[in-house]
Amino acid sequence: MISAVKNLVDYRELVAVLAWKNIAVRYKQAYLGIGWAVLKPLTLMLVFTLVRNFVGIPSGGVPYPILAFAALLPWIFFQESTSEGVQSVVGNAALIRKIYFPREVFPITGITTKLVELGINVLILAGLMLWYRIVPTAQIAWAPLIILYTMLVSLTISFAGAAVNVYYRDVGAALPVLLSLLMYASPVIYPLELVKNKLLLEPAAGAWTDPLYVIYTLNPLVGIIESFQNVVLRGTPPDFAATLPGAILVVVALPLSYSFFKRAESYFADVI
Amino acid sequence: MAIIEVNHVTKEFWLGQARSLKQTALDAISRLRGDSLAERVPFKALEDVDFSVDHGEVLGVIGHNGAGKSTLLKLLAGISKPTRGRIAVRGKVAPLIEVGAGLVPDLTGRENILLNASILGMKRAEIASKFNDIVAFAELEEFIDTPIKRYSSGMQVKLGFAVATSVDAEILIVDEVLAVGDLAFQRKCFDRMEDLIKRRGRTVLLVSHNIRQVERLCSRVLLLAHGKVISDGAPTEICNAFYGISDRRIRDTELNQAIRPGRTRTSGSVIVESVDMFDKRGNSVIEIGYLEDVEVRVTYKILVDLPDPIFSVGIHTTDFFYLATSHSVGSLPKITRLPGRYTLSFKIRRFPLLPSVYSLRLGVALGASFQPLLYMENAFSFQVVSTQINRAVQPGYREGFLALDGEWELNALDLRKPCLESPTQEN
Repeated sequence: MISAVKNLVDYRELVAVLAWKNIAVRYKQAYLGIGWAVLKPLTLMLVFTLVRNFVGIPSGGVPYPILAFAALLPWIFFQESTSEGVQSVVGNAALIRKIYFPREVFPITGITTKLVELGINVLILAGLMLWYRIVPTAQIAWAPLIILYTMLVSLTISFAGAAVNVYYRDVGAALPVLLSLLMYASPVIYPLELVKNKLLLEPAAGAWTDPLYVIYTLNPLVGIIESFQNVVLRGTPPDFAATLPGAILVVVALPLSYSFFKRAESYFADVI
Repeated sequence: MAIIEVNHVTKEFWLGQARSLKQTALDAISRLRGDSLAERVPFKALEDVDFSVDHGEVLGVIGHNGAGKSTLLKLLAGISKPTRGRIAVRGKVAPLIEVGAGLVPDLTGRENILLNASILGMKRAEIASKFNDIVAFAELEEFIDTPIKRYSSGMQVKLGFAVATSVDAEILIVDEVLAVGDLAFQRKCFDRMEDLIKRRGRTVLLVSHNIRQVERLCSRVLLLAHGKVISDGAPTEICNAFYGISDRRIRDTELNQAIRPGRTRTSGSVIVESVDMFDKRGNSVIEIGYLEDVEVRVTYKILVDLPDPIFSVGIHTTDFFYLATSHSVGSLPKITRLPGRYTLSFKIRRFPLLPSVYSLRLGVALGASFQPLLYMENAFSFQVVSTQINRAVQPGYREGFLALDGEWELNALDLRKPCLESPTQEN
């Protein structure tokens, strides 16, 4: 892992240039590039709000639309980063064949590129907070750390995914589907409170309740979304209890994913 | 300490399509069931290659297509890893492999320079200081702020090459990229290479099919064939050996085609049964030494009475450039030949053609009227070889095909005083 951090530092300029290239190319083609960054979360937020009027999801003290948007912000960042990261190696086949630099630059660049869209979404969130007259507290200082943690989660999947994708392109094709499923298993449409109420307060699943809750929180996005909503909208500290299982999973999986990537790296140029 | 070391390196590839998920799963099941799998035989792109390169050496790598040259370069650039063996590269490498590949069409020339230079390892500050030189070398000052999708392909490659050669690295790996652009630009590239080599003492590995360039730039040449190092040594010697091998391949291809000879016109009264070539010791050969005596023997079957037939034997190149023709007029008795099988023998003294692949033409005509009875091109292919002649100049069309048979002599007429004498000694 030390070498990973060292590589990151050595190659930071390259990551910056490649990320800039990705962004420049996208924006040069049409204005839609930047438009999509705005359109996607807003549209989803509107759809969820509409559905909620029929289904009835309790949103605690916070208005549902902004709650949903605050959940969508880290979720979309994660989803887009992971998709980009998994495709990053295959997408740069020409570079892989002509020069060597540590290949982890590719997933890292993919994630860095998505930070721009995240920035735009943050601006929209700020606008929404103004609209709903929600004042941020000091807790909001946690937000950048939460985003950083999200990036690590994305990298965990991206390293292993990108490596496997070189050999079996099925991975890149299946990923959008898997991520959609994951969205339903994360507190995006519904807040975590709903799950807690169902499982912890009124044990709905009998003896399976506690393990079920732990399994649910193994999904790192649960902790991320809930904590993000806490620090930005509710003015409370991040939910460490909900974050812990997921964090343990990431701490174990990230080094494994990375070493898998590094071992597969030697053969990329032959197979790609 | 060698700057590059290649220790018994073998590189294998699996041929065919990459395995799909389904195929891998099926294979795993077969293995579990104890069934034997069809073994995929790996393709050996490189086999037990072993050599080392010292600092400042300029190594040329030549060989036929598919010999493993580019694979070797990719291993040295760190792009791929050997299947067996070890490679040690002690220095920063600037690879000039597929220079056009990293260019992004939507970005301008300026942006592409920044991008490609960063990819090759240059830092921001360095790029800024070398920017004007790069643009000047590529001759693209006017177009530098236009997206490169508007550039011609020549301009794009010029840009790629200009960036790649500005990289500050101890080792340069050049894979067949010197043959880009028009003649003037090629000259520029060649000069820049020479500058990097001679004045800045870079270590260079050069793969090229331009054998003349290789001979001129390199201090040492490696000849690869089918993944193995065939020879390693002085440029002139190895390049000549390579020409010999190339010619042999052309000739073998020719021979396969010469089973059906080229253009044949016949009246039906004469048939060619066989054509052979013999060296001065009487062995049947397809390869003869330069300036050696050689005999052409043709077996003809004559079907009707032929009054005073004239036979001719000619030489042409593989692309049907006629070089020589000889007739038997005046050399054979003027009699009528009766039907039957005959052997025509034509002995040539000191065969004067320069080393290359040639073919025979045959002709038979009637002596009195020169009415042609038979004409056959590409009847027999053979090769002239020589170890003494330097083939690194373009063979054939610029040096000609013939050597002249003469005698050489150098006599001193008068001896002048040596010019380097110091003034005091003259007095």
